[in-house]
Amino acid sequence: MRRLRHLQHWLNGSGPRLQGADVVPKTHSIRRWADTFPWAKLVEAVEQSVASRFPKRSNSGRRPVPTRVLLALELLKHEVGASDEAICERWRTDVAVMYACGLEEVQLASPQDHFVLPETLAQFRSRLDEALRDELVALQAAAAMAEGLVSPAHLLVDTFPSEQGSQRVTDATTLYKAQKKPWRSLQTSRTSAAAKPRPSRVKPTPSTRS
Amino acid sequence: MRCFGRQCRGQGHVFVKLVRHTEQKLLELGEPITTLGQQAQQLLDRATPLSEAQRERFADTFNAAMRSHAHIRKQSQWLTQGKKLSHCKIVNAYDPPIAPIMKGKSNCPTQFGRKTGILSEPTTGFIFANRVPEGNPSDPSYVLPLLAKVQAAIERVRAPRKLRGHSVAGDLGVNDAALRQALHDRGILTVGIPKTVEPMNQAPSPEEIRNILNEAGLNRQRTPHQVHLACASGYSRPVVESHIASLLSRGAGQVRYKGLEGAAVQLGMAVMAHNGAALVRIRQQRLSKRAQKFRRWLGLRRHNVNQINAPEN
Repeated sequence: MRRLRHLQHWLNGSGPRLQGADVVPKTHSIRRWADTFPWAKLVEAVEQSVASRFPKRSNSGRRPVPTRVLLALELLKHEVGASDEAICERWRTDVAVMYACGLEEVQLASPQDHFVLPETLAQFRSRLDEALRDELVALQAAAAMAEGLVSPAHLLVDTFPSEQGSQRVTDATTLYKAQKKPWRSLQTSRTSAAAKPRPSRVKPTPSTRS
Repeated sequence: MRCFGRQCRGQGHVFVKLVRHTEQKLLELGEPITTLGQQAQQLLDRATPLSEAQRERFADTFNAAMRSHAHIRKQSQWLTQGKKLSHCKIVNAYDPPIAPIMKGKSNCPTQFGRKTGILSEPTTGFIFANRVPEGNPSDPSYVLPLLAKVQAAIERVRAPRKLRGHSVAGDLGVNDAALRQALHDRGILTVGIPKTVEPMNQAPSPEEIRNILNEAGLNRQRTPHQVHLACASGYSRPVVESHIASLLSRGAGQVRYKGLEGAAVQLGMAVMAHNGAALVRIRQQRLSKRAQKFRRWLGLRRHNVNQINAPEN
């Protein structure tokens, strides 16, 4: 109920309330996946870590998006292979994603405004430091071990390479591109002025098409 | 993707030249930074209205900025055109922890990125710990920090029986005498780490088991049954590949976030998502015959037939 209060602007509409657990089948892949996580412990760990490192200075302003929602979205993003924008978009419409994020009730007739922006997700990510990340993995492993599902008796170690996918735009590359651009545009304008347009590359006009 | 090294396919691009050319201007621009920095330091010392905490914070930030500039300058001067870069040499001035990942690339330029280490369960692929270090350290250096993380996870469990690591398996890259000794000191068997390229014996005889225990000095700590299990769960490339493939399908193959921290966040979240999927497979008993057999040997939780077969409604 406390979580619902945070999302008032989205859930104020009239109409029947949809129970997420009733709508999403138990065999749904996202539901099964979400049910494996010890959410309460994970959320507590995140909140404690964030509260100690980023103390709240005032209570004014809008209530924050619940940690559970942000953590679940961040994990779901990797599970379904979505981008920040895509997962935030899915969170507004996909009841299974809402279930995974711990939203128990959904108001059907409501204006679905943004309430988790991709930027919020990025900010949340930036607050996950090394100690907290290790703690989250340890909590998940501890829960699985306590349940008797896995055992650390025999382990396998290996490494794998991860390519740096995003090409960082550095000052050097920006400067290089800026220097290169006017020269290129100048060259293209000169060549286009000098050379005759080839007939095959002439864009057909509406009259010629007809 | 930034590339260095031997160019065997495609158009050869020498990126070093570009970096040197463009960075030269930045270095010229930043020439007076050292002088300005000294002046700023003096002014900071004289500033009376600042409290001690503020002064300390400003000084830390200032020193970090100065160190960063010095680092960029040094790196920029290190970049040498046309020469093959040595192993573990830092080549990106703007992202110092990034390093060439020299893995399985004999016919194309070395790629840049991170080398992630994982410690997983051989049967289900559940990953107990992961590590994204700076640069490209040797494989044996991953093992002990990863084991420390697993130990931290074990200490959180309030199980009736005490959980412990019995053995660690790895590929030939992990074969290191010092590491073996460190693992033996902790009571961990290393029969899963090969010493040669010869295939490992998965079902050793009692005599061989005795020799293994004597060699490791773990006669009183490990039982022959545990040695047998350790040999059975020895390093297997297809098994590890399946764990890595699962991570790669969750976006771990390409780091999209910025810097080392970003890479660690992305890979950590991918590991957690992968673990969730592994637990789903365990709960549904969607495991290989080998995994099921191994889990029986370990005495792990078994499939509850009644629970699965019960009607949903």
